[in-house]
Amino acid sequence: MHEIWVYLAGSPLLALTLTLGAYQLGVMIYERANRHPLANPVAIAVILVAVTITLIEMPYPRYFEGAQFVHFLLGSATVALAVPIYKGLSALRGRVVPLLTALLCGGLTSIVSAVGSARLLGADDAIIGGLYAKSVTAPIAMGVAERIGASPTLTAVFAVSTGILGAVLARFVLDFVGSREWWQRGFALGVASHGIGTSRAFSVDPEAGTYASIAMGLHGVLGAILIPVLVPYLRF
Amino acid sequence: MIAGFVQILLFQGLGELAAHFLLPLIPGPVIGLVLLLAWLIFRKSVPPTIDLVASALTQHLGLLFVPAAVGVVVFWPHLRANALAIATALIVSVVLTIAVSALVLKAFGKGGSRET
Repeated sequence: MHEIWVYLAGSPLLALTLTLGAYQLGVMIYERANRHPLANPVAIAVILVAVTITLIEMPYPRYFEGAQFVHFLLGSATVALAVPIYKGLSALRGRVVPLLTALLCGGLTSIVSAVGSARLLGADDAIIGGLYAKSVTAPIAMGVAERIGASPTLTAVFAVSTGILGAVLARFVLDFVGSREWWQRGFALGVASHGIGTSRAFSVDPEAGTYASIAMGLHGVLGAILIPVLVPYLRF
Repeated sequence: MIAGFVQILLFQGLGELAAHFLLPLIPGPVIGLVLLLAWLIFRKSVPPTIDLVASALTQHLGLLFVPAAVGVVVFWPHLRANALAIATALIVSVVLTIAVSALVLKAFGKGGSRET
């Protein structure tokens, strides 16, 4: 028994099975919960894997050694985001100026308000570094984190949390500010909450979903170009 | 399927090269994304084989960052010590970001609306 265990723990098979299995379970729970944003499959998978490797006393670096095959696909998936962006381009027509202005203002608000309030409450530099790219879709946000010397892990965790929070709170915020058009509501949610906000928007209204998806794509590209340039000026 | 994946890997490689030699501040895959987007705009359609791979990858995007996010176990004590600041920052920021984006779009008013 012990020998089997040692053998399994040493091969990538265990980490890979654990990662895919936990995600699959997350997706099943998400579907059962009628795609409620609080039952986010990524959050469920991360918690399940984190608890499991803690219980079986598998150090994180050893887990990652196996799971890196999944991790490697992040770069390819980022490149592949060109396809949904391309398909959404037609929805930009006639609205380029309002959408880009909203994206720039929203993106800046996201960084300044997160970094500002965390600093005010005494968070340390590692935490603050992870907050810069949190409204950018996680695969790109992690790449940005590497460029600005922040932790990709904290960035991913904050990005997923932001996605969930935005998906849950958007309705109330949008009603409060009197936003009525679906395309505006969707775009605002996509700017703040990337992929998780986009799934939420699609489940409410297809037009909102399309615009959320455009916002996520544009925020990803613009964020990757602008955040590394802006960070030195934003270290207040 | 394989042809599409090869092309995506080629764009990723081009992006990594450009990031390494020309644009060190921008993540390579993002440059790859922009190059692929430019190519799609140039040829005015998405090749079916790229479409297939892209939808498989983007549909399960969440799965791909699970391994990195599990690193949260290493940061656990650190996160607990900063829990209040983190929770406040995330909530305040997401609420303000949604509000500001929506208000800017509203401010442009009917000028931005059109028949869909």
